[in-house]
Amino acid sequence: MRTTRLIDESLFDSVDPPRLAGARCSRCGTVVFPRQASCPRCPAGLMSAHALPVRGRIWSWTLQAFPPKPPYRPPAGGYQPYHVGYVDLGEVLVEARLAVPRAEIWIGLPVRLTTLPAYHDEDGTEVLTFAFRPDGEAGR
Amino acid sequence: MSRADDVYVVGCGMHPFGRDESVTGMDMAERAVREALADAGVAWEDIGYAAGGSDVSGKPDTLVGRLGLTGVPFVNVQNGCATGASTVLTVANALRAGEASLGLAVGFDKHERGAFHVSAARYGLGDWYAETGMMLTTQFFALKTQRYLHDHGIPERALATVAERAFRNGSQHPLAWRRKPLTEQEILDSPVVSPPLTQYMFCSPGQGAAALVLARGDRAFDLCERPVRLASVAFRTRRFGSFEVFAPWLPPGPHRSPSTDAAEAAFRAAGVRPTDVQVAQLQDTDSGSELIHLAETGLCGHGEQEDLLVAGDTDPTGRIPVNTDGGCLAGGEPVGASGLRQFHEVVRQLQGRAPGAQVPGCPRVGFTHVYGAPGISACSVLTV
Repeated sequence: MRTTRLIDESLFDSVDPPRLAGARCSRCGTVVFPRQASCPRCPAGLMSAHALPVRGRIWSWTLQAFPPKPPYRPPAGGYQPYHVGYVDLGEVLVEARLAVPRAEIWIGLPVRLTTLPAYHDEDGTEVLTFAFRPDGEAGR
Repeated sequence: MSRADDVYVVGCGMHPFGRDESVTGMDMAERAVREALADAGVAWEDIGYAAGGSDVSGKPDTLVGRLGLTGVPFVNVQNGCATGASTVLTVANALRAGEASLGLAVGFDKHERGAFHVSAARYGLGDWYAETGMMLTTQFFALKTQRYLHDHGIPERALATVAERAFRNGSQHPLAWRRKPLTEQEILDSPVVSPPLTQYMFCSPGQGAAALVLARGDRAFDLCERPVRLASVAFRTRRFGSFEVFAPWLPPGPHRSPSTDAAEAAFRAAGVRPTDVQVAQLQDTDSGSELIHLAETGLCGHGEQEDLLVAGDTDPTGRIPVNTDGGCLAGGEPVGASGLRQFHEVVRQLQGRAPGAQVPGCPRVGFTHVYGAPGISACSVLTV
């Protein structure tokens, strides 16, 4: 039987639908991802759990055109070039895999959070990571 | 004229950069040190304080086993791309503090081929970050460059102009690795690594070594016909809001670089303005980085780079010559050695004895800049 798991549960606030788990400083409002216990801006600030917005726009993007060295783990079918970028979620920019075809990718493209298979464990378990895909509902 | 607590470069040496399987990192370091000592006309026994740096090729202080067991204090530094500048800063401060009158700074490295190996844990990140293929320095440079070109309306061709000049300068430099000039079109047509950057817009990890002999002002002019004054050297780590390599998140901006902080501090301490600089070294891990560093250090305004490049202003014969030895693009990037390569080139330019293309008109003010992970920068001003 095929099973799936999240690559790192601490990254996710929920799975279906996916939300990323960040943290927000009670004092200066700085939002970070992944969660961390102290504020990088005001050392006295208290951080509390904060689910990140799921919709944003591509802030920068590129293509990984050569297979990375380990500890990168290729997907089941082997390495294929993939897009990565920063997505502007308003309160924070998050670096992520971009499930966007080259012809559609541009700075400013509306995207929304999704998951995609990163690799498979040796026992066949599919390991999911977070990514952003074009947001069909967003107005152009 | 000279003050005792001023620090001068009185000798420099460098092992050719590139690939040579017959020598180790330590072999190269030893040769660079011996060359620097000979250049200054002093012996290893005269050195009262030393600092050395290497990222992967051994403990620098073990060089005393080759150079002589004189008991000299020898500090090891490991500061990524700022390693060379850190050794200079360490030795200069020791000389100013009266620890010694003559000091030595050395940097060396010999890396494996291909992209640098990374460890997520070493950067305080979860394994997921590297496993999902986001922990590559090449991606960071591409992402920063992509956004920068977008923000400032600079065409991708400017990236090829930077690399074309680097390889042209490298082709004239006897110590450079890449000695073959390439056209802008060849650079644009080379395999894509991470758009907008192609293969020939990136430097490669390589090998090399460089060393400097530094002296206090009361000794410098007896030792050297044309000592070069270390007018300032400033080292900075990142502050909140900088856009750095291996960052799973960024604040919304604006993003201020440690390069800007280090450059401002170096210019302030030296009492010179960026417009006074007549020969500069900028960290050019890739074409985009050099382009961005031109403005982050204040050598030009943001968005002015294309005009500067097209006009030839950054050529050795231009208004603000940049990376006259071909930089990292032509020299490769031995992490521990690159910073001292920069000093070697600028010192030789200011002394009028550049190994490669000499900047005409006796330049008097030089500048060096390094930048590296995880958000560090060091800049210096050198004058004659």
